[in-house]
Amino acid sequence: MGSTGIQNSSLEVQSVSKTFASNGGGLLALEDINLHIAPGEFICVVGGSGCGKTTLLRIIAGIEHGYSGTVLLGSNRVVGPGLDRGLVFQEPRLLPWLTVQENVGFGISDRSSGERSASVAQYIDLVGLRGFERSYPHQLSGGMAQRVAIARALVSRPQLLLLDEPFGALDALTKIRMQQELLRIWEAQRTTMILVTHDIDEAIYLADRIVIMSPRPGTIKRVVHVGLTRPRDRTSYQLTELRKSIYREFFTDEDVPEDYEI
Amino acid sequence: MSTAQQNSTVVQFAALLDKPARPKRIVKFVFSDRLLGMIVPVAGVILWEVLSRSGVFPPNALPAPSLIGQTIVEMGKSGDLWRHAGITLWRITVGFFLGAAIGTLLGGLTGYVSVARKMLDPLLQSLRNIPSMAWVPLFLLWMGIQETSKITLIALGAFFPVYLNLSSGMSHVDPKLIEVGRVYRLSGLQMIRRVILPAALPEYIVGLRSGLGLAWMFVVAAEIMGASRGLGFLMIDGQMTGRASIILASVILFAALGKGTDLGLELVSHRLLRYKAQ
Repeated sequence: MGSTGIQNSSLEVQSVSKTFASNGGGLLALEDINLHIAPGEFICVVGGSGCGKTTLLRIIAGIEHGYSGTVLLGSNRVVGPGLDRGLVFQEPRLLPWLTVQENVGFGISDRSSGERSASVAQYIDLVGLRGFERSYPHQLSGGMAQRVAIARALVSRPQLLLLDEPFGALDALTKIRMQQELLRIWEAQRTTMILVTHDIDEAIYLADRIVIMSPRPGTIKRVVHVGLTRPRDRTSYQLTELRKSIYREFFTDEDVPEDYEI
Repeated sequence: MSTAQQNSTVVQFAALLDKPARPKRIVKFVFSDRLLGMIVPVAGVILWEVLSRSGVFPPNALPAPSLIGQTIVEMGKSGDLWRHAGITLWRITVGFFLGAAIGTLLGGLTGYVSVARKMLDPLLQSLRNIPSMAWVPLFLLWMGIQETSKITLIALGAFFPVYLNLSSGMSHVDPKLIEVGRVYRLSGLQMIRRVILPAALPEYIVGLRSGLGLAWMFVVAAEIMGASRGLGFLMIDGQMTGRASIILASVILFAALGKGTDLGLELVSHRLLRYKAQ
């Protein structure tokens, strides 16, 4: 059990490597990943498919086994899943037979019912779903379902919120709204956030630091400090320059699309 | 599917009672699915009644519907109806619960423990290929003609659908939901209770309902083959004594009781699966 409340710890990823067994040898998914994340920081991990970004997130979440290296949250070594780390998947993964409030309270069933219902109500409020407590997942839109998933991950007051391409399946407009919501939640909760995405615009809009990864083997190619105040203007000069510089990490100069717009 | 249809009919009926626009309501009722489905059977019964009374159908082979109704009422008055229907219901209840219980036990075991599945499932699947009636001589040899052999046969009928559906339901739970359970550090038992069983419940209920259907099929077979009481015995009795009205009355009673028990299960499942209702 991690300490509850506002006191957050830093996350330390120390020389983490992971090999997936495949026919004809092993596939090196992650090689010597080192990362220090300060309490309350908003980190985006960007990379193409197969760069190991999701694997890294799952290792931090404690649901990936058989890797070398160490992950430390504060002074505690991460050995398995725990309520000190909330995880939001690409799909909401709500339990269809539970209502919104039952889904949000899923991970804290060991608490007293009074404490549980107060926390559940608070986090349903935080994600803006008051009035939908008794709805079932099939009655929700994709964006609403993902809000429930975020509330479920936050209700145990984790020190760290891990998000694996959480808005990848949403339409462009809902996605932008959810990004703003996530920032609002982050500012209210000051939970450390690690968001994995392949969307460069998402990363430069949200992150304090962007970790750029490259595939085969999965390594950290560059870490970009964004250093811009929020809310950020998605069309500002600084953001455009930043986007260009990150694109250059993925494409050679000739390949960079001249007038890329979302 | 059928529940959704029934719900829409219920909604239509509710609308019928509420709305003041009379002609529209009547038009709506006339064209409602339920009424459309009733036209052919009602017309058929009326035609049957007319043809039987006018002597086109020989009355000893196909008596009029009103005569069959009369037979049921008479059997009710004499107490025969309750005696025979009662023992049939008792056999169904004991046989179904026995078969469903064993099906639940083995289905749960093979659905959760993959080693048990690998060990038991091929055997049970191959036993399923034996036509169930082929067991009858053996059951009669082992257990005699008394209740035990009948109940065993009914239990066998109920067993397979329950076993198959629960086992496949539990072993095919979306691994993504299982992973959610792992993230929240559920123990094995908690995982079964909070993720696996609720996820497998719809399939389990399908299994229970088809198991109940087969139990009714097998009770007819068991009672026809050798019984001194029961609705199946009544049918054979009607055949021996040349009274078609008794055979047809038994057929109708079987249908009504079968539908009644299925409706009971449907109501329970409707409550349990209300999260799926639109």
